[in-house]
Amino acid sequence: MPITTTRRRLLAGSAAALAFPAFARAQGAAKPRLTAISQWSAGSDGAAITALGKKFEEKGGVWQHSPVPGFTTEMMNKLRAQIIAGDPPACSQLKGPEIAAWSKIAPTVDLDSIVAAAGYEKVVAPDLAKLHKPGGKWIALPLQIYSTNMLFLSKRGMDKAKADKIPVTWADFNELADKMKSAGMNYPLANGGTRPDDGQKFEASFAGISPVAYRAAIMNLDKKALEGPEIKAAFAQTRKIADWCDPNVGAQPYATNLKRFIDGDMGMMIQGGWAQGVLRNAGFKFDDFIIAPGPSDNGKPVFLLNADAFIFWQRKEADLQAGQMLMAQLVMDPAIQTMYSQITGSIPVRTDVDLSGEGWSDGQRRTAAALKDAVANNQAVLSLAHNMAQQNGLTAAMIDVLTEYVKNKTIKPEQAVTRLADAVEGAR
Amino acid sequence: MTDVVATAARPATPDWVRRLPEYLMIWVPLLLSAAHLVTFSLWTIWISFTPSTLVPVTGWVGLRNYSAVLVSRNWQIAFDNLLLFGSAFVLLSLMTGLLLAILLDQRIRGENVLRSIFLYPLAVSFVVTGTVWSWLLNPGIGIQKLVHDLGWTSFRFDWLVDRDMAIWTIVIAAIWQSSGFAMALFLAGLRSVDADIIKAAQIDGAGPIRIYRRVVLPTLWPITITVVVVQLQFAISAFDLVRALTNGGPGIATQLPALVVYDLMFQRSQLGRGAAAAVLMLLILLAVLLPYAAWRYVRQRRTTHA
Repeated sequence: MPITTTRRRLLAGSAAALAFPAFARAQGAAKPRLTAISQWSAGSDGAAITALGKKFEEKGGVWQHSPVPGFTTEMMNKLRAQIIAGDPPACSQLKGPEIAAWSKIAPTVDLDSIVAAAGYEKVVAPDLAKLHKPGGKWIALPLQIYSTNMLFLSKRGMDKAKADKIPVTWADFNELADKMKSAGMNYPLANGGTRPDDGQKFEASFAGISPVAYRAAIMNLDKKALEGPEIKAAFAQTRKIADWCDPNVGAQPYATNLKRFIDGDMGMMIQGGWAQGVLRNAGFKFDDFIIAPGPSDNGKPVFLLNADAFIFWQRKEADLQAGQMLMAQLVMDPAIQTMYSQITGSIPVRTDVDLSGEGWSDGQRRTAAALKDAVANNQAVLSLAHNMAQQNGLTAAMIDVLTEYVKNKTIKPEQAVTRLADAVEGAR
Repeated sequence: MTDVVATAARPATPDWVRRLPEYLMIWVPLLLSAAHLVTFSLWTIWISFTPSTLVPVTGWVGLRNYSAVLVSRNWQIAFDNLLLFGSAFVLLSLMTGLLLAILLDQRIRGENVLRSIFLYPLAVSFVVTGTVWSWLLNPGIGIQKLVHDLGWTSFRFDWLVDRDMAIWTIVIAAIWQSSGFAMALFLAGLRSVDADIIKAAQIDGAGPIRIYRRVVLPTLWPITITVVVVQLQFAISAFDLVRALTNGGPGIATQLPALVVYDLMFQRSQLGRGAAAAVLMLLILLAVLLPYAAWRYVRQRRTTHA
């Protein structure tokens, strides 16, 4: 008798044990799950994606984010390894033309229907939208936008130079820099000397002189535009910028100069919108600096787009597929974009988000207004320095020329034009 | 007594069984590492002939990756830098190491302490060396600023941000790091010189400088060659030091081949070209190592025949 009981119990037990995983699986199918990789692990970036994960969990999802700290390329190495192993994450960070390149090595998710249902395409800058639908179908979604050519002005620096007008054109900018120099500032510009920083000096000059020529030369690699008068003028302006920077900064980032910038020992900086977050994190107040759109010779704002995005990789598991749909909805949601940008200091991808409310800075409002204006005037172009205009290989070859030009003052603008055209030819 | 008889009576274990542990100890790791090295080298060579970009793919592009790398400005600058850095670094570290060794060889007090001090940099990783020197050499915060603050305001030492001189900052840091290694080897060589020969030279009336020049230093040849080869292979594969110190800058003035390989493979996602650059590096290494192997072979033959 006791033996039978035991047997029965045993049988029942094993049946339950066998059934349990199936039960769990059935539950899981109803529960969206997302495996994601990105480089965002710390600081405001880490905080923002953690907040996004919380929202994902609030909607009943299972959030499995594995950050790969360090450079974007390290995140890409992990992604490459996972794709080769046949186990891509459901969703990963990727941006610019790399979306098109990577989508050729592994199948991606077609997001067209969900994007159409949200009416999302109407509220995204057209050049940006194109990057996220390389084969004509949406496979990736932009998350947040920065402009790489914002003009940061030091309040104390302006006072020192007795200037109160925000420069609009490059002529205004050059005049102000001269004024600051004669007011005793050895180096009116607080830019750093990293590769992307050198690229930004050039792209801000070029797009500010002529967004049309920039689009043709840098984005479309048009041979005539690559050797045109505008690009030569851009190199000449870049040289001026380089001469106003502290040569001792070497290859260090702009962040080394922030104190001197706020103290008014350096007056201006051409930097991406992310510098606002860095300045705020370093303990400086909004009263210490002004953010305005970068110089533009035709007076209308030029916006050099840099956008982070998520690409969605095809998975067979039902829970991951449900997770991808939920994630796509969240990323397009204006409330989520608001939350994200308010943490990182970027601006929302959607051009219809109202930034007049609390939680936004003047700089963010000006950036968003600049984007709207730039899109309306077809002056929103893609940043070269931050891998938005061309794929990594070509970008790196072009930045080689730019950074060498910035550091080597014996190279003439016309030589630089030839070198850039040669580099493009060599890397294609 | 009985024990000995018993042992002798037992059938002799075959030679190979007795030596089995030795074989296992030597051959298993050797084969494993050789297999690793050889397979990955062969694989890299194969990749260098394919049109691989983001991920390895099959296909054949002939020497196109090689020609693309060889004409690129990055590689040309890197190669010129390698010639300059390699020769300057090897010669100078050899000289510093020898000088330190000779000075330490004077039976001075506190030799152990001094030897540890000179050897200490070797225990520091190249990334640390590079970072520390990047601070020291930064004109705005390092040596130049120190001298300025002391009152000599016209003093200039801005090699780190000077395109033409930046490569020498790498030479300085590399010498600081590894002349202790050369010193240790030379010191061992100096100490192994037969004291009788030196005494004989002294009796013949040779002064200390003459003894070093004519008697001691000629015995150091084999050590010198070892040091040169070890330092050269470090110079050719130098990566972390440059990355931490100048990161190839200012601009691309201090590129070195290893940086180009890393850059092509992982920053630019051009696996094929990166592999081609890696194979070129291997060829440069072989150009150093093959003569060394030949020299050792010849020397060995000479000693066995003598």
